[in-house]
Parts: sequence; C-alpha cells; structure tokens
Amino acid sequence: MSSKYKILVIEDESNIRNFIETVLDANDYQTLVATTCEQGILMFSSHTPDLVMLDLGLPDKDGIEFIRTIRQTHTTPIIVLSARTSEDDKIEALDLGANDYITKPFGTGELLARVRASLRNNRPGAGAGSLPGEKFTLYDLVIDYDRRMVFIGSEEIKLTQTEYNILALLSYHTGKVMTYATIIKEIWGSADDGSIKKLQVNMANIRKKLGSKPGDNQYIINELGVGYRMNEENM
Amino acid sequence: MKKHRQLILDGIFTFATLILLFAVNLIIEIIFDTRTLIPMIFVLGVFLVSLKTQGYFWGITASLLSVLAVNYAFTFPYYAFDLISPECIFSAVVMLIVAIMTGALTTQLKTQEKIRAESEMERMRANLLRAVSHDLRTPLTSIYGSTSAIIENYDSLSKEQNLKLLGDVQKDSQWLIHMVENLLSVTRIDSSKVSLKKTTVVLEELIDSVLVKFKKRCPEQEVNVEIPDDFVSIPMDPILIEQVLLNILENAVYHAKDMTELNLKVEIKEKKAVFSVSDNGCGISPDIKDKIFNGYVSHSEAPMDGSRNNMGIGLSVCSTIVHAHGGTIHAENREEGGAIFYFMLEAEESDE
Repeated sequence: MSSKYKILVIEDESNIRNFIETVLDANDYQTLVATTCEQGILMFSSHTPDLVMLDLGLPDKDGIEFIRTIRQTHTTPIIVLSARTSEDDKIEALDLGANDYITKPFGTGELLARVRASLRNNRPGAGAGSLPGEKFTLYDLVIDYDRRMVFIGSEEIKLTQTEYNILALLSYHTGKVMTYATIIKEIWGSADDGSIKKLQVNMANIRKKLGSKPGDNQYIINELGVGYRMNEENM
Repeated sequence: MKKHRQLILDGIFTFATLILLFAVNLIIEIIFDTRTLIPMIFVLGVFLVSLKTQGYFWGITASLLSVLAVNYAFTFPYYAFDLISPECIFSAVVMLIVAIMTGALTTQLKTQEKIRAESEMERMRANLLRAVSHDLRTPLTSIYGSTSAIIENYDSLSKEQNLKLLGDVQKDSQWLIHMVENLLSVTRIDSSKVSLKKTTVVLEELIDSVLVKFKKRCPEQEVNVEIPDDFVSIPMDPILIEQVLLNILENAVYHAKDMTELNLKVEIKEKKAVFSVSDNGCGISPDIKDKIFNGYVSHSEAPMDGSRNNMGIGLSVCSTIVHAHGGTIHAENREEGGAIFYFMLEAEESDE
C-alpha cells in the first residue's frame, strides 16, 4: 500500500479544525494543522503536503497571502474554505491559483469529495492538456480530443469551435471551478465588457446541445456568479 | 454622469415651463386685455420649477428669467428692459423668495421621505431580530440537550439512541444554517445600502442552481419548471434572488398542507421577468394574508402542526430582497386552490 496523502489544514477555529481533522483521519489521510498563515507557510515548506485546506480569514494575515506565497514555487492543490458572504474573495482566490472552494457550512461528504477531486486532478499530466489518443468520459458524454469531436452515447454533438474549446477546457480541469475570467482568458485571450455575456451565451448553447435541463445538469455545474465546473461521476 | 443628465433634464423642464407660461400670458393679454394675472402666472411657474427640479439652481434661474420676462414684455415700457425701477427690483425679490422657499420645502420633503424609508427598514430589522431570537432558541435547546445527553450517558445509551439524538442535532443545525443564511442576506443588503451589487445572470443558470439546492433540502418534492426557451439575462444579485426562490419553495413545502404539485414558472412580460411559485395546498389563511411579508407571523397565528415555523422570517427576507432590487412581490390564493407567490424584476432585452 502506498503512503497516505498528507493534507495541511490551515484554520484558526479549533472546532472546525477538529472536525476536519477527525474526518480526514477517519478516511485514511494524514492531517497536519496550522492556525495562522505564517505557521501554515512554515508547515508547508517543512512537510510539503499533497493538499492544503485554507481558511481565508486567518488571525495574522489574509489567507490570500498564503496562496500568493505558495503559488510562486508550488502547484500543490489548495482548497479554500470560504464564508458565504464574500464571492469576491472566492473569485480572487481562484484567480490566484486556488483549485477549489467549499462554502461554510459544509458537510463531510462534500468535503471528502472535493479532497478526492483535487488530489486526482493533481496527478502528473492532469490539467496540462490532453495526451494523444486520450478521451474524456463522463456518464454518456465522450470528448475525443484528437478528432475534436463530442458524443453523447453514440450520437455526435455538433459544436462550434468556441463551444468545443470551452467544453474541452472545462474537461481538462474536471471537478475544478473555472472562473468566468479564467475561461475568457483561455478562450478569447483578452476580455472586454461583452465577454461574460459571450461566454454565457456559448454556455447556454452547449447546455442546449448536450440536452441539459435546469436542475438536471449532469455534465456542467453552474457556480452562480463565479464560474463553471465540469462534474465528476462520483461527486 | 447621472447627475449631469439630471441637471440637463431639469434645465429643459425649466425652459419649457417658462416658454409655455410666456405664451399663455401673451394669449391672456390678447383675450382679456388685462395684465394683472401675469405676475401670478409667473409665480406659479417659479413654484412648479422649484418643486420639480433638484436643488435651488433652476428655481432661482426661473425666478430671475420670470422677472426679466415680466419686465420686458408686460410692463411699461413694453418690449424693452427697465431694470432700475424699484417695482422691478421688488418683484425680483419676491420671485426669489418664492423660489428659495419652495426649494427648501421640497428638499425637506425629500429628506423626510428618506427618513421614513430608513425607519421602515429599521422596523423590519427589529421585527426580524425579535423573530429570530425567538426561533433560534428551539433548535439550540434541542442541540444543547441532545449533545449533553450523549456526552453524559455515552455508555448507557444504545447505538440507535445515540444516532437518533445525533440525527436530531444534525437536522436542527441544518435549520439554523438556513436561518443564518437568511439573516446574512439582510445584512448584505444593509452593507451595500447605496446600490445592490448586480451582475447579469442567465435565468437558466439561476433556476438550475436553485433546483439543485432545493433538491438537496427537500429531496422528495418534485418541482415543475417552466421557463422561456430564449436566452434571458437579468441583472440581479444572484445569491439573494436564489435565496428568495428557495425561501418561497420551502415555504410551500412546510406550510401548504396536502400539496401534491409545486410549480416554478418564469415569464418575460414587457421587459419584466415575472417569477411565480404556485402550489395546490391549503392556501394562505385570510388572518395572516396581509402580514405575510411584514416580518413576523407569530406562532399563535401560524399553523400549529409541529412543523418548524420560519415563515415570518423567510418571506420577509424575500420581500426585503425583492424591494432592494426595485421589484415587487405578492402572494394570493388561487381560484383552483392553493397559493401563488410571484415577484417581478427588470429583465434585460433578450437580443443577440
């Protein structure tokens, strides 16, 4: 059996820290804890964890500082624990390189699902693009990267270039929230006033072509006001 | 920019009024062959301008122009200025006083209006606070009691008993979470009193997000959805409007007895998005119908079926949110039975 994944939890509230630690330990992860941003950075450099769970409201510094510092040298996945009131913080954290966020209060199921997704996405090669011959599958959705074709079951779905690019981009980062700004930058290069609308219209077309209905989007999850996320089968 | 436009609009109003009254005066002069009415009509003009425009600038401008007009066209020597006669200076002073006093009065009226709106908000907040502190106590008591029972009797309780108590704790804390979310929504409006932070939200994405969350909270309740096929985007604070829809849907689940059908419908009518949630349950009792959005429906008035009552809070939060968006919200009983809640928001044109 391979060694356990190491997860660093940076959270100043001891009750929340306790419960996260308990859940992670019970699910066979090795947990390290820090209560301040400074301590977190120290722990990170001495233990090099596989994943970081980060509270943004830390007593000494904003958690955003941690992301900034770590992202200069490491690509270790970071999951932000955020309070509901601050979408702007959420978006800033994601744009700075955080991989995901969980809104407080959260249940253990959600927590573990996000941990699994982030660890999986950080496998070597994941997120960097596609390998030759590789295909993406999610339920009955198949993306053939080589031929730039999309299928549902055996039926081909005709997408425009832009629609395909968006779908492929989301699929490279399955399980990760992509902010509007990130997607726009990747797809169109530069942003202007109409960019978000352009993206939203394209997404609406993609949903229509994939046959998604409100309340039953099994492929792409809307993160209202933040961005989009490609679903994962076992989330 | 907006201020600039207002100033120009006010200016147009001022000149239009004065030109109109000047013409009226000319006609009166011809028909009645008298000039006694003329200063009165100009005073009326100055009054109207001071009332309708912002600040003092246009009122004073109007009064000075009126004096000049009377002086030029309607007093001897006709169609020539005679600015040094005491009569002229005196009438100018009177006009100025009218303009300034009207301006002061309207400003005062406007401030009072603002104070009234603020105290309305304050009253609502006080109601909420009262309702909340009352409603928080029940789940907190149960959480505290259950966890104490577990800690103190850990070995003597059976596994089933422990799990049952813990299940109650979980349910009650979930309820508290929803309650706190509602309260956060209200503070969110408060902290951005000046204007809500609106973003353009795609209707379909909003409804999707609402349904996903609703399914988590009430998995056994089906919702029939009907929304326009076109691409519709609506400027709003999505977190808040999502809260409104969830509150109304949940309200139906908790309070519409014998409901078998829950419908969520959105229509675009004359550039307005009309959201409606209807059920075929027991309808709204006439006793509480008028105060359903007004804050707190007391426990004696709410159905005493043991179900938790957060109706007062949830719906008054809805009302606060919708009003902060400049929309309207209503509730009524349907002819075919059950209740319908609907609210309206300004929609963007669904072009492109």
